[in-house]
Amino acid sequence: MASQVCAAIDVGSYEIAMKIYEIGSKKGIRELDHVRVGVDLGSESYATGRLSANRVSEIIRILREFDREMKTWGVTVVRACGTSALRESENVDMILERIEKSTGIKIELLSNSEQRFLDYKATALKSDLFEKIISKPSAIVDIGGGSIQISLFDDDRLVTTQNLKLGVLRIHEMLQTLGAGTLRYGALVAELVGAQLSVFSRMYLSDRRIKNVILVDDYVSPLMQNPRILTDSGFLVEGGDVPDKGHVSAAGFIHFIDHVHDESRGKNAEKLGVSYENLPLVYISGLIIKCIAKEMGAEDLWAPGVTLCDGIAWEYAEKKGALGKHHDFEKDIIASAYNISTRFRGNKKRSELIGDLAVRIFDAMKPVHGLDERERLLLRIAAILHDCGKYISMINLGETSYSIIMGSEIIGLSHRERQTVAAAVRYIYTKVPPPDSLDRVVEQFDDRMRLTLIKLTAMLRVATGLDRSHLKKFKKAVFTLEGDELYITANTIEDTTLESGLFDDRAGFFEEVFGVRPIIRRKDAK
Amino acid sequence: MTDTGKRKKKTAAPDIHDPSYYANRELSWIAFDERCLYEARDEENPLFERIKFLSITASNLDEFFMVRVASLKDMVNAGYKKRDIAGMTAGEQLEAVENKLHSFVEEQYSTWNDILLPRLGKEGLAFVKNDGDLSESEKDFVDRYFDEFVYPVLTPMAVDSSRPFPLIRNKTINIGALVTKKGGDGEIEFATVQVPGVINRVIELPDGGEGRRFMLLEDMILRGMPKLFLNYDIVCCGAYRVGRNADLSIDEDEAEDLLKEIEKQLKLRQWGQAIRLEVVEDIDDRLLKHIKGELEVADSEIYRIDGPLDLTFLMKLYSLPGFEGYKESRYISGQPVPALKDLDQQDIFARIREGDILMHHPYETFDPVVRFVERAAVDDSVLAIKQTLYRVSGNSPIIAALERAAERGKQVSVLVELKARFDEEHNIVWAKRLEHAGCHVIYGLVGLKTHCKITLVVRREEDQIRRYVHLGTGNYNDSTAKLYTDVGLFTCAEDYGEDATAVFNMLSGYSEPLVWNKLALAPLWLKDRVISLIRRETANAAMGLPARIIAKMNSLCHEEVIAELYEASRKGVKIDLIVRGICCLRAGIPGVSENITVRSIVGNFLEHSRIFYFENAGNPELYLSSADWMPRNLERRVEIMFPVEKEMGKEKLIHILKTELADTEKARILEPDNSYRSIRGDSASRVDSQRIFGDEAAAAAVSEDREKTRVFEPMTSPVG
Repeated sequence: MASQVCAAIDVGSYEIAMKIYEIGSKKGIRELDHVRVGVDLGSESYATGRLSANRVSEIIRILREFDREMKTWGVTVVRACGTSALRESENVDMILERIEKSTGIKIELLSNSEQRFLDYKATALKSDLFEKIISKPSAIVDIGGGSIQISLFDDDRLVTTQNLKLGVLRIHEMLQTLGAGTLRYGALVAELVGAQLSVFSRMYLSDRRIKNVILVDDYVSPLMQNPRILTDSGFLVEGGDVPDKGHVSAAGFIHFIDHVHDESRGKNAEKLGVSYENLPLVYISGLIIKCIAKEMGAEDLWAPGVTLCDGIAWEYAEKKGALGKHHDFEKDIIASAYNISTRFRGNKKRSELIGDLAVRIFDAMKPVHGLDERERLLLRIAAILHDCGKYISMINLGETSYSIIMGSEIIGLSHRERQTVAAAVRYIYTKVPPPDSLDRVVEQFDDRMRLTLIKLTAMLRVATGLDRSHLKKFKKAVFTLEGDELYITANTIEDTTLESGLFDDRAGFFEEVFGVRPIIRRKDAK
Repeated sequence: MTDTGKRKKKTAAPDIHDPSYYANRELSWIAFDERCLYEARDEENPLFERIKFLSITASNLDEFFMVRVASLKDMVNAGYKKRDIAGMTAGEQLEAVENKLHSFVEEQYSTWNDILLPRLGKEGLAFVKNDGDLSESEKDFVDRYFDEFVYPVLTPMAVDSSRPFPLIRNKTINIGALVTKKGGDGEIEFATVQVPGVINRVIELPDGGEGRRFMLLEDMILRGMPKLFLNYDIVCCGAYRVGRNADLSIDEDEAEDLLKEIEKQLKLRQWGQAIRLEVVEDIDDRLLKHIKGELEVADSEIYRIDGPLDLTFLMKLYSLPGFEGYKESRYISGQPVPALKDLDQQDIFARIREGDILMHHPYETFDPVVRFVERAAVDDSVLAIKQTLYRVSGNSPIIAALERAAERGKQVSVLVELKARFDEEHNIVWAKRLEHAGCHVIYGLVGLKTHCKITLVVRREEDQIRRYVHLGTGNYNDSTAKLYTDVGLFTCAEDYGEDATAVFNMLSGYSEPLVWNKLALAPLWLKDRVISLIRRETANAAMGLPARIIAKMNSLCHEEVIAELYEASRKGVKIDLIVRGICCLRAGIPGVSENITVRSIVGNFLEHSRIFYFENAGNPELYLSSADWMPRNLERRVEIMFPVEKEMGKEKLIHILKTELADTEKARILEPDNSYRSIRGDSASRVDSQRIFGDEAAAAAVSEDREKTRVFEPMTSPVG
């Protein structure tokens, strides 16, 4: 791949940032430029649910300036993403259209999980340290303006991720509403964060101790990246080592935050090189981190210094094959699906089996279905979660599974992908509604997405139909596509009467969708 | 604080902020101009160089009046009570400065009248003033010259109740006269005429076989006064010149369009308060009284001049053809930079890729810097050029190259500092020109002057995008680069490139970068960096590790930095300072600065580079900077300090510093009493650093040639 120059733009809640990268197969990915302009979109959008025309003009002005900077580097690929401030504006469609018309830049709205996943990708791909750090129990704490995302790792795999509505700007606004002086911030933040954290801790941590906290944020991370601040601003604990760039012990961090608390605002601003108005936000971020580190019993903090722009670029590089061997994110998504299944008392072995059967059907049907690898992953996720709703009700399995999936965050899936998974699971059990009614469930789906949903549903129905008895009789089944028939050869000595007998209904739907009739054949295993 | 109190403190640990340990910056500046005047008086300098130095003292003084004296007067008028670094109020400073200046001006004119004029006479060069000095044929010439060229551009103005006193423009020479109407009632009226700036002030008379003879324009006009006031009798007349407060006061926060605001203020500069009145010594008292009254100047502001007003005309004399033999020829400049020879055949970018290149101007030519921008403008691989410009030459090839680059579709961003003092008008003109060509022009930053000198070229190359950076201590001005000593660095090292990108992002109004790799920037980080470097030496000295500072700059007057240097000296750090101009640090005070030496070099070239050496416990670090250690540089300007890390570059800088520390010819040592002492010794041990650098540059260029030509050339038949 010849090297390409790409711009990644993040229209965030309090800043619009652009990074420019050179991406090539030989040298991987190289950051060339980073520009940032502070613009407070969040306050307006969170408070009023809209962005005013003036604010939009400001975004347009900044993006035009960015365009000049892009010319400096000969940028050929641009990806711009918007996050919560845009997401939470009712008039976002009009805003995005106006911006695109004026600047030619199309801003893509990211769901929370997509945004966090990009942050996560940047963290995982940008530094070789990542794999080493997550080999010990670790958590990524991604602090945004409106919320915090906490993701936990188990055995090198990301297993769960939760969003707490406790972003820095949100907490700052709450504190201002309370009229609290900065001296009381410590106690109030501990109270606010503590309540939600203890729930999180009970539900997801139980008695697990998290050794490493990986930090993604805009206020504290830059300080931890600055060697001068690391040595001069209270991070040094007596008897402790001078911290490496980005690394601080939890004790050192707590020492630092207490130090900030004791100094005057002016002195802190000067020492930390932070503007006067941003200082409370730095302090609040620090307090949040302190609470989390304490709650988790963390020993070390690592701030890799990544931003959403990095995530955008690394994802692009990954797609273009510009990265060498790297962390397998698909496995994370699968691991977190298993984790959800386990939480709702799913049977892991059965989930594995259904997942396995589903992708084998997918692979056998490749010449027919026209779906891609990403959709294969969605199918696997849906198969793993195919019966999670039974935790609530065994009768309305479709509805309850749908609700659980929609209510759980699966890092790495976009909102629409999650909807696809949830709806596909739902329609294993209930009739696929006619197009009009389907529209209400997946209202923003286009034709291809709707078709994908139906195809996945058809395959899922066949896969689950092959294990009616839950006895794993089709574990070694072989799927062969011959003309317009899909032969499912069960290599088993078990009786498959139940599966075969009740198969017609599922096979019918499958045939309707693909024009291929699935047929069960039995070959006794030796 | 009582004296005894002070003494008690001194015996313990001295209070390093005690004003008695600091020199007043205005008086220190006058001492600098005195050092320039010594050069005019120095018998060892060629005659025309001495004339040039005298002219420099005069132009320096003009600026000093317009800015520094004006500002002291403003402070006095505003009732500003705060004491300066040396413990003086504005009033005390003004008084001391005016006293000094009167005697300084006397010394300037005694240098002219008693030394230089007779020496010129000996060489057959004379200035004629009065009718009596002119031969008949010269009188004819002067009459004709006056009638044809001078008279048409003169605008005599009479002042009476219906015609108010006209605007007397800053720094112009004027002739004032008292006149009475012929056949009138004898009432005396005042009239004035400006000596026009559009005609050469130095007029050479036709060769009459008596050597070269010159007349000054104002003397010619004085002679022609009756022709200007035909209906009047001239009672008396005489030349005068006014200096005005020329500090621009711009409220940048309020100014919507900085460019327009500066244009407006420039017009107002002509109307600034009069703060100096120069008059010819024999001016009629009545005439003086009239002028003084109209301009509202105090007696202390009047300078009676024994000779021609405004000695800057001597620079014109210096540049007249035919006097080459009286000029300096021992100093060599403009030699090729060995690593960048034969630039026409060389790809400058390829050369920079081979390794960093450090240049010492003017000994080594400034051409590569111009060529760098010119080449970038036409190179197809170049995507963008970004540059800061503070002062550029009249017909700048750099500006032309930037225009060309923009026209060729490259992304060109230029920060043009509109607030560069006395260059504002000039800068507005070519800022508009650049904009017209399609460059993105930034007119400086609100509240800060951008003084750093940096150029960034972004180039898409086969293997990757590469950044080429030039960083320097001097302006991108190809004319002054022939006269000023400066150091510049070419590099394409990634960490410098990243920082250079960050500098231009900041200048474009983007948020500051999260970290800097190599560069330290004022006003945010540079002062702290300088202080921490000094403190490191102090701490090393306290631990018994090698500690030393050598710092070369134009001016040193930042109190906090000086206090740190005192502290370092007290801990035993050996500090050698090479400060050409103002120095508020006092050297050799027991217990405070006895480990500090200060020398000033005023030579053929204007010392302008800023080089800093820190011993760092045996691992010396060297830095270059656009900034002096002055409050304005460290706190109110965008400046850059950058390290030179490659061994060859470091050696070159150490050699420069060591040679200058050994200088005996042009260096003067600051004594504890604030005077500067010459250290010129016997001829055997004399060191002239500027000559050495020139000779070395020439030798390096030759040896490079030799290396290159060590190829055997086969003889071929001439008729072949």
